[in-house]
Amino acid sequence: MTSDEALMLEFQRGSRAAFEELFARYRKTLYGFFRRRLNNPERAEELTQETFLAVIRSASRYEPRALVGTYLCSIALKLLAAERRKLLTSSPSVEAAPEPNTEGTSERVLWVRQAMEKLDAPDREILMLREYEQLSYSEIGELLRIPVNTVRSRIFRSRLALKNHLESEARSNPSPRTSGGQPHPGRRGTQ
Amino acid sequence: MSTNMHLIEPEELMAYLDGELPADQANEVLSHLELCPECQTLAADFRTLSRELMAWEIESPELSISPEMDAALRDRFQKQEAAKVSPPGLEKRIKRMTTSRWIWAGALAVVAIVCVATGLMLLMLTRTGSHRTQDRSAAYPSMASIEQYLMPDRNAEIALARSAAPAAISSDAKILVLGWRGYETAVEGRNGFVCVVERSWMNPFNSAEFWSPKVRVPICYNPAAARSILPLTFNRTAMVLAGWSKAQMIDNIKAGFNNQELPVPEPGAMSYMMSRAGHLNDALGHYVPHLMFYFPLTDKYSWGADLPESPVALNPQFRDGPEPITEFVIGVGKWSDGTDAPVM
Repeated sequence: MTSDEALMLEFQRGSRAAFEELFARYRKTLYGFFRRRLNNPERAEELTQETFLAVIRSASRYEPRALVGTYLCSIALKLLAAERRKLLTSSPSVEAAPEPNTEGTSERVLWVRQAMEKLDAPDREILMLREYEQLSYSEIGELLRIPVNTVRSRIFRSRLALKNHLESEARSNPSPRTSGGQPHPGRRGTQ
Repeated sequence: MSTNMHLIEPEELMAYLDGELPADQANEVLSHLELCPECQTLAADFRTLSRELMAWEIESPELSISPEMDAALRDRFQKQEAAKVSPPGLEKRIKRMTTSRWIWAGALAVVAIVCVATGLMLLMLTRTGSHRTQDRSAAYPSMASIEQYLMPDRNAEIALARSAAPAAISSDAKILVLGWRGYETAVEGRNGFVCVVERSWMNPFNSAEFWSPKVRVPICYNPAAARSILPLTFNRTAMVLAGWSKAQMIDNIKAGFNNQELPVPEPGAMSYMMSRAGHLNDALGHYVPHLMFYFPLTDKYSWGADLPESPVALNPQFRDGPEPITEFVIGVGKWSDGTDAPVM
């Protein structure tokens, strides 16, 4: 399979097919990136399109030293920051993010989302880049311009905090974890 | 969790589960994990947490290339076509490249004089010049066609890459092969090592064999080097395949380090070159088995390199090159298959 980086170079040289392949490979990843962070599926779609538009317009600036996945994440993070600034400064009645649509979402997933929201924003972002975008510690460090050791310690801190949030939720309301259809393996559970 | 009774920290355990530890540390953690119920519980907790997070799935988007993107693509390609007819700023670029070429010619002359004067044995070590520099330079004056750098037998390239390190390492390593569009994963790995057959453009830029299509250098990078040295191979390879000039490549690499977009060597970055096959250059063939260790620019005497009877030598691969890296080399007396070999 052709590497993403080679596809990007092909696109730089004028191949539409290379761009279409990159679009096919990354549209779901990028949509997921925005969807998990914005609770607004329409905006997530638009921002995904905007990310690819930015790629088209600035492809000549891409240099093969960066992995394409990291490069796309860097564009997506900038668009996300701009979107959040816009949301902060706009009238709440017009621009407030819609309430998350929880229909069809298992209680277990809702717990996870609520627990994630309790994390400090920078820690949550690093954990999400690791878990959902599957970036390595060094890629995250490169993207956020922080040392790899800091990435590692923040991921560790976030996971412990998340685990504590979920455990305290489970203690105060034991039913949802089993009502989600998948019992929590727990400390003696099977792996 | 108390760490008093533990050889490993919980954070290290997490990094192990994330596949972020070098092989030696990973083995230590694994050995400890097998014996420590408390760590097994913590590992299970981390795995459960990741599963919980991954349960938050996102619906597939109904996304296709929008009319706006389509228009932007057309616009981009039209501009590219127009640029091919009349390249803007071409004159300026040619002038800049010509100037740069003179500078490099001067630098090459100085290097050649130094080589002849001192007869540095190390210059023969890896992939750089010798007293026959001029002959070989004439033999490989410019880039050959891409297919001459490729190995038609993919399995042969995989086997050659693996031959760089003992099987205990390379059999679980990720293997890359060179294709028309760059390095591609041929075999997924399990231990964090990456083995690859490098080509002539990983020589110093002033090497007489920089464009030799005969060069095949099997090398296995440990996880730290795979993260921080191998990207330099990807970078040079992509530029070569894109048809960049040496001057453009050098500028790109320098800018990459200045902007901190290219990685600096991670602590512990090293590689194996213990293959009895391969072809480093015309003078040396496959050379002798050795290990290499990478650092940000370092005084060679801090390792006692190049001192009389010292087994450590400074490898000239990156010396005076655009990558600010010091590379030490130490010979070993065995080929990767365990048979005896001459020592450097």
